[in-house]
Amino acid sequence: MELDTRVTGMTEKEKTRTQFWKRFKKQKTLHLFVGLGMIFLLVFAYTPMYGILMAFKQYSISSGIKGIFMSEWVGLKHFKEFVNDYQFGTIVRNTLVLSLLKVFFAFPAPIVLAVLLSEVKNMTFKRLVQTISYMPHFISWVVVAGIAFAFLSTDVGMVNKALLGLGLIDKPLDVLTNPNYFWGLATGSAVWKEMGWWTIIFLAAIAGINPSLYEAAQIDGAGRLARIRHITFPGMQGTIVVVLILTIGSILGGGLVGSNFEQSFLFGNSINSPTSEIVQTYAFKVGLKDGRFSYAAAIDLIQSVISVILIFSSNFIARRASGSSLF
Amino acid sequence: MNRNKGKKALLLSLVLIMTMALMSACGGSNGNNGTSSNSGNSGNSNTGQKDNEGVSNAPETTSEQPAKSGEAEELSLFIDASWYPVKEWKGPVAEKITEKTGIKLKVTVATDDKQLPLMIASGDLPDLVFTNANIDRMSDSKLSYPWNELISKYAPDFKIDPIRIAIHTMDDGNFYTVRNSFATQEEVAQNKYSVGSDGNPGIAVREDILQELGNPPINTIDDFMKVLGMVKAKYPDMIPLIMDKDWIEQYFLTQFGVEGLLDGWYERDGKVDYAIRQPEMLEFFKFMNRLYREGYILAENFAYTNDQIDDQYATSGKAFAHMHTVSVADSDNVKVKNAGGSYTFRMLPSSISTNAKAVSSGLGFAGTFITKKNKDPEASIKFLQYLASDEGKKLTMFGVEGEHWTWNDEGYPNLKYDPSDADFVNSNGIKWWYLYNDGVTEGMLSYVPGAQKTKALMERKAFTVYKPELGLIQLQPDSDEKTIKTKIDEMIKNEKVKIYLAKSEAEAVATYANMVKNAEKIGLDRLVDWANQTYQKKKDLFKK
Repeated sequence: MELDTRVTGMTEKEKTRTQFWKRFKKQKTLHLFVGLGMIFLLVFAYTPMYGILMAFKQYSISSGIKGIFMSEWVGLKHFKEFVNDYQFGTIVRNTLVLSLLKVFFAFPAPIVLAVLLSEVKNMTFKRLVQTISYMPHFISWVVVAGIAFAFLSTDVGMVNKALLGLGLIDKPLDVLTNPNYFWGLATGSAVWKEMGWWTIIFLAAIAGINPSLYEAAQIDGAGRLARIRHITFPGMQGTIVVVLILTIGSILGGGLVGSNFEQSFLFGNSINSPTSEIVQTYAFKVGLKDGRFSYAAAIDLIQSVISVILIFSSNFIARRASGSSLF
Repeated sequence: MNRNKGKKALLLSLVLIMTMALMSACGGSNGNNGTSSNSGNSGNSNTGQKDNEGVSNAPETTSEQPAKSGEAEELSLFIDASWYPVKEWKGPVAEKITEKTGIKLKVTVATDDKQLPLMIASGDLPDLVFTNANIDRMSDSKLSYPWNELISKYAPDFKIDPIRIAIHTMDDGNFYTVRNSFATQEEVAQNKYSVGSDGNPGIAVREDILQELGNPPINTIDDFMKVLGMVKAKYPDMIPLIMDKDWIEQYFLTQFGVEGLLDGWYERDGKVDYAIRQPEMLEFFKFMNRLYREGYILAENFAYTNDQIDDQYATSGKAFAHMHTVSVADSDNVKVKNAGGSYTFRMLPSSISTNAKAVSSGLGFAGTFITKKNKDPEASIKFLQYLASDEGKKLTMFGVEGEHWTWNDEGYPNLKYDPSDADFVNSNGIKWWYLYNDGVTEGMLSYVPGAQKTKALMERKAFTVYKPELGLIQLQPDSDEKTIKTKIDEMIKNEKVKIYLAKSEAEAVATYANMVKNAEKIGLDRLVDWANQTYQKKKDLFKK
């Protein structure tokens, strides 16, 4: 739609409405697609936003929908309460550390895999690897947690049994309960689950590079590594920047692998909570379990504001630095 | 030029895919508050409107179809306890209740403790809700019908004794439920065959192993520790003590003379304080920490989310002692026997310490709520009235008269089955349909001359002190005090595990001190002040 108005705007200003409708009619199928998406956003993303109001009010669920508007205004009370919570430091640290770890490991992983795959000449092998690597994306986290239990539990876990059997360890590793293992477990499983999926996009970007560039480079005597460095990477740059911006925008949710909540919720327990409790699970607990919607809304609002700031600033930096940006 | 276009198209499609991915990824966490609260609101405003409709419509549509009219009316029931052993309305007891009341239930058992709060939030409530954890929350005129209103309207002859009503009356003057499993001190004293319910802690130990160790006596906590040490030395592959996830604290709290659970109140010299500040509490925590440091319990035990794991350890022969309820030895023995095992479990005495003290401040276990979404409040209250009748109470608790039990003129039922045989009890639907019942009737189910459970309960009855006034310190939903208490309890839930799993006793003590300090920071003193006021106001209820 934006594109469309821009185009109409570019034609002379005197062009009248009739012409606009003519164009509109011509593109009606396209508009239908865009329209559906916009209605979706309007209904599910914009309309519920009025609920943010309750972050500043003493809202109680029993007062119904009216309560959002009628409840007593308490200003920043809930925000202050969150900041003064005894767990505040821990859960904010956990959220940030987990998110950064995921960006650090989960972002480069699919790029590397895509480059490696693009260099494989045996098509059967390439397809096999690709299929196997993106399969886990379709497994839900609940199932992954179950699988992890079967592999890693101290009692029935396959891995522990194998390591014990081989005599490599003399005591089962308590990967699922020890707080020291949680970050590694979360990052590792997220990379395993989503790496293959994101590889698809980077492979598409590589496929879009003109093959004549490679031929020319080869004639000029560039080796394989040189070709990757000077052709493949620059060719992927636009895609990488866009993905990076989106990753940073959603960093608090876990970046492009986006699973902070699911992991902390499913792998978290009372023993590893010092490292597994994050802002989202905390908000879920106080919000839903204890029915304190105002408080939970305030917590999530803080998070959303941080995310918006991050996405705008990363977009700005990307535009300055590389010329390609999201908007 | 052309390539540029291709790049644009690629970029655009990329953006689209990724926004979708983003939305689906973020949806998990961000959606929670936005959507659920939203639908919750609409749900609630609907119920508001339906209030009157439901009441005025009900008599016309349904009062004309009593029990006999062939088709039984189906009501939906949500049970807010994921461990609940019966999951379907079937078996002789359920059939008999349907025959008598014309009601059958469509049962849903919770998958976790967040499901009911979620249902409240989304306004998606069934006809009836049976809960213990959310009694405060459900006692709200926006969510449930007050029983007093329904009784005066539809069942004027449904008589409930004044103490039970007083206990459950909220600040708005209504009562929304009456908990089961409750008996006053007088009622208990008058019924010597009512020995108590399953809901009391106990430890069972392997008899054969104890014998191999030369039958060391277990009369004190130290004896017990010694035996666990011997087990660990002699059977290194065995877990000395396995604990049910919901029964980790109760037994030893009693032994150390702690009154009440971690989230409860205790009273001394007419003053009320929060249980974690009792002097005995520190000793309890030190002991639990010692159990862990000595390697007698598994750290994992504190992370179990499934209440069957401990049973598996015990009945597959991988654990020496099994901590659960007073019926643990009997029910483990049945399971072992059915599986072809040859060893047996024996209960430890209910008291292995001179300090042992059990304070019953209980107001009962769980109660049934008739929600505002109920399609037939009249039939619902009459259904509960039947369950509350003498006939109904015995039917739910003991089974079908004649088939499952006959009345002994001494004042207790002669059961024709073993009440510890969980499979039999559950498949026949005995006991668990106690949506309305009382502690006296329930206490009789445990009276089986000769059973280990009966013995353990009678021992326990001897050192139980009754302070039901403490139970009256009840929080009103949405009050500031409720928020403080919820936060403190949540904090304790997190911190206590750190104390149990501390690397040294000094660390345990420090963590305990820190926990109390945290509680004070959250507002413990304010909560305690409020509790004392409420306590002074309400304690006269029990004075005659």
